[in-house]
Amino acid sequence: MTVRITENLCIDLAREEWCCVACNHRLAKARENYKTGCLVAEVPMEEAHPPLLEGAAFSFMPNPDFCRLVEFYCPNCGTVLENEYLPPGHPLTHDIDLDIDALKARHAADTAP
Amino acid sequence: MNAFNTIKYSRDPEIVQHLRPEPPSDWEARTMEGLDPLEYEIFTHKMHMIALEGKETTMKLGASTGMRWGDVAFGIYTAQGDLAVCATGIYHHAVLSQLPVKYLIKHLAGDPTVGLREGDAFFYNDPYYGGVHNADMGLCVPVFADGKLVCFIGAAVHTGECGGSEPGGMVNSARSRYDEGLMCPPIKIGENFELKEDLLGLLATATRDPRTMVLDIKARLAASRIAERRVHEFMDEMGADFYVGGLRRILKQTGEAARAKIATLNDGVYRQPRFIDTTGPEAALLKINLTIEKRGDRIKLILHGSSPMLPDRPMNTYFQGLIGMAMVYACGWLFPELPANNGLLEAVEWEFPEGSFVNPQGDVPVSYAPATQVAFAQGMFMAGAKMTYATDPSRAVGAWYTGFAVTVFAGYNQWGEPIADITPEINATGSGGRPGADGVDVAGAFFATMSDCGDVETTEAERPFLYTFRNFFNNSYGHGKYRGGSGVGLGLKVHGVPMVALGSMGFGSHFPATLGVFGGRAAPPAFVQTVRGSNLDALMAQGGSDLPRRLEDLYTPGGTPEEGTRDFLSVAHPPALYEGGDTVYAPVSGGAGYGDPLQREPEAVARDVSSGRCSAQAARDIYAVAIDDRTGLADAEATAARREAVRKQRLARAKPYDAFVAEWSKLTPPAEVLKYYGPWDGAAAQEA
Repeated sequence: MTVRITENLCIDLAREEWCCVACNHRLAKARENYKTGCLVAEVPMEEAHPPLLEGAAFSFMPNPDFCRLVEFYCPNCGTVLENEYLPPGHPLTHDIDLDIDALKARHAADTAP
Repeated sequence: MNAFNTIKYSRDPEIVQHLRPEPPSDWEARTMEGLDPLEYEIFTHKMHMIALEGKETTMKLGASTGMRWGDVAFGIYTAQGDLAVCATGIYHHAVLSQLPVKYLIKHLAGDPTVGLREGDAFFYNDPYYGGVHNADMGLCVPVFADGKLVCFIGAAVHTGECGGSEPGGMVNSARSRYDEGLMCPPIKIGENFELKEDLLGLLATATRDPRTMVLDIKARLAASRIAERRVHEFMDEMGADFYVGGLRRILKQTGEAARAKIATLNDGVYRQPRFIDTTGPEAALLKINLTIEKRGDRIKLILHGSSPMLPDRPMNTYFQGLIGMAMVYACGWLFPELPANNGLLEAVEWEFPEGSFVNPQGDVPVSYAPATQVAFAQGMFMAGAKMTYATDPSRAVGAWYTGFAVTVFAGYNQWGEPIADITPEINATGSGGRPGADGVDVAGAFFATMSDCGDVETTEAERPFLYTFRNFFNNSYGHGKYRGGSGVGLGLKVHGVPMVALGSMGFGSHFPATLGVFGGRAAPPAFVQTVRGSNLDALMAQGGSDLPRRLEDLYTPGGTPEEGTRDFLSVAHPPALYEGGDTVYAPVSGGAGYGDPLQREPEAVARDVSSGRCSAQAARDIYAVAIDDRTGLADAEATAARREAVRKQRLARAKPYDAFVAEWSKLTPPAEVLKYYGPWDGAAAQEA
């Protein structure tokens, strides 16, 4: 049984694996951080938030001294599964840390005859 | 350096722990069970109508921007001070405004020099009890039946101006709480159904806008008296026993319903660090390290690893203010079907580190606390989306704009009257992208969902400004499969007066305030443009057709014909004097993007380009949509090919997780950016 967790992520409960919703690629063990199964890149701010002013104190582009954009891709289909805006070098966040035993118990109860 | 406050006179750390409902009194316990179900339903509806009438009355009678445009919470409290019934869209007051009432019950009601009698009225604005900042002011009255206290009725409203070393209630340069103006623990401001003129005079003198201060107090009181009359009418019909039991039963039911709702969510731990890019007077990073632990029918908010207390900067927030903001998310999005009252907190636990800027002690300033609180609230949105999607995707929404970007002003208006307040556009932000739908353009304020930004003509009638424009700020939202709603841009010209003080409160000029969910992009950073010695008056007199009519007009190639001394300022800057004819341009931005922009319907992108909501550049570079120049329609085939190429480019640039972290972890922000952050290594250890 596969259960949806976010817009882009689901969990195969039998195999206890994170999967990509778009292509069903298996990403990581469900008890681990799904991000470890992603391909990861920093997207330059000039590309993600192009500046509208040159040489001014502000430009509608985040200040790279304060903020960088990191994207987590499905290695198979290239969908952005999640992103993080972080100070440069800040540890990536283990954002979803589910109690898999409780999740399995809930869905076992849901599917019980 | 401010000393820790060790004197408990007027500040009682025990009272602020009483966020949840008190155990039922004997009277409540005896009467709350066994109420006729139909009569109870009629009762709850009547009480809500009384509260709603109180809210509307307050808005119609008040004078401040906040009061007139709905920054109002009006409610009925039990005799123990818990807020059972509340009409508001500004939900933090629904779970915080019981604290000053509980303070006066504990400290004043039994004091022979104060006491508690029919006809009394109490006023308060100490943020220690309100939980937010001095600009939020409250008033309540006790209600009696046959000499016995049955409830309190009152209103909490953002009056705005409260004195202090800067106008408008949010003091950018505050170094201690004594710079932040009026700070009033609950005091008896009225007796025998009359306000005390001596105390009104004191409060009026404490602010730059005495007329607004007094009118707002009278508005709260008038609305409370009307509600008091309605409550007496109900008790005449149904009796005080029903009334007292009914109020307590509402709280009990709310707590039970909140726990039942929480129990439907998946157990687990959800983390969302939040970053703020200002301390008020300078640009620097602060961190709120939010973890939500959900087990059974409770959620626990844990903030260990957040930045340390700021001894002389105004971004500190009392912990109770964050609890209030957590419930803004809860009341608006997690369980909007439940009553907004402090019974909801039966489902919430918290663990906030002492000595951090999210749980400070002593005399530290807090007048920018709303900024820290909304940054935290956005963490609730982001972690909440990940917590709720599995069980109810409709709750998993992108955050609304949270950077404030409030324009603050003070001086004399065109009628010679003293004024000090904020402009109302904070109530016109874009909402976040949602499952299956874009955010709403210029939706409102997420923390004040029943508020409005008013008509420009109304503001112009009493404020010394001419709006040169106020309309959608295109491209001010986060891109995504479902984009955020557009924010609003405005141009203000100082008008009809020789000078006025103008400033701005907010955050997000360096680090975006509003971040996306599920791969959606952030709303871009916001900043303020000012032009001193502007020639706009002359250009308008000439009837020029190329004057800026939208905020983005200022930043397009070719720019604007307006000339003068142009500055670009952070959204957090203290008020300064501007002369008649000078101009200020401010954004109140859009909502967060939701999902991968490459999954957005190409036709939706084409429609946005056609309407101006989305630039052609973003359509091409962010959404990878090919639009036919002749028809303006999306070319499905060319778009599919372009998007496939972009996905390949993504994967070619990316690295496996461990390889990425190995390089990424060598980076660090410059030292000056981390001046107030706390230990960088410590934060890393916390994450691990």
